[in-house]
Amino acid sequence: MARLSRLKSGLSARCLAAATALVAAACGGARVAPATPAPPPSPPALIALLPDPDTGVTGKIRVSNEFGALMVDTPRAATNVTAHAAPGPLKTISEDEVTRLFGLALQALPPAPKHFTLYFKFESDTLTDESARKIPEVLDAVKRLAVPEVVVIGHTDTMGEAKANVTLGMKRATAVQKVLESAGIDPGLIQVASHGEADLLIKTKDNTPEPRNRRVEISVR
Amino acid sequence: MIGLRACGGALIVMVMSTASVAAQTAVPAGHIKVAVAPAYIVRQNTTIPAKAGDPVFATDTLRTQANGAIGVTLADDTRVSLGPDSEMRLERYVFAPADGALGMVLNFVRGVAAYVSGRMAKLSPDSVRLETPAAIVGVRGTTVAIKVGS
Repeated sequence: MARLSRLKSGLSARCLAAATALVAAACGGARVAPATPAPPPSPPALIALLPDPDTGVTGKIRVSNEFGALMVDTPRAATNVTAHAAPGPLKTISEDEVTRLFGLALQALPPAPKHFTLYFKFESDTLTDESARKIPEVLDAVKRLAVPEVVVIGHTDTMGEAKANVTLGMKRATAVQKVLESAGIDPGLIQVASHGEADLLIKTKDNTPEPRNRRVEISVR
Repeated sequence: MIGLRACGGALIVMVMSTASVAAQTAVPAGHIKVAVAPAYIVRQNTTIPAKAGDPVFATDTLRTQANGAIGVTLADDTRVSLGPDSEMRLERYVFAPADGALGMVLNFVRGVAAYVSGRMAKLSPDSVRLETPAAIVGVRGTTVAIKVGS
């Protein structure tokens, strides 16, 4: 609240100043508005698209500024951009250059989150046998991390109302939370959420039954 | 009058964005997983040394000095890291797919950084924006390295 009122008072002071300036201008004041100081020069940027560290697949980025845009979709393609010209040209940098330029940042990337998708037996909150067998893998992934988080997200298919599906997804996530806790994972590490029908594994139209969308995803990170 | 009306508009926008900041701060945007000193979180003018496990919130700035490094995993599994003498502001972060609310703006101010996209770029690529002073990067996936400054 204190921050809000400071903002308000700061703004109203600015409004007042603007109004005063307007009045002065309207009255034909001969004073010349003070020249706005030149903004500090914007530093250039080197932007590189890299293969995914885990899958090796190269994605796609779009680099743009007020002068133009550039699509980048090849491994280790890089562009130097200044604030005064459109991005480009593209050049391909070597793996050694990637390491030399970006190695210290890349080294600091946290380990890739590990994902597990669990399914329930039909119309129950008991995991399928196959999914139940994945629980030890989840435990193992947690043990490997220095500061682990276990995020449990419930999903549904598109049958019924979106809002009801958020509740249903939460029910599924909570069921998995209990399984993980009884398997020995510190309850303090576990976060539970529901995405309802907003994050489908298999894209379908509304009101489509799809067992593969009725799932719980665990991210261990 | 125009000036005054514009100010009124600005006031409303500021009040609204302040309210949404307050709402966002309830839930961490992510957590620090890697911290090599000197590395800091700057939150509302307070600078705190970053350590692994610390939560990170929308509008926090992450900053490193010589030999420092920092690595963060965000709520949608996006990963971002900084090398030495670097700074990045987590301008905006909303990940609530059930409410249809997605948005991430990372502002790279200086130094070197790496970014690996998560769920958000898959669900809604247009919701993800990496900003540098000279250009903006839209991400369809997955891994981007950025160096700001010469």
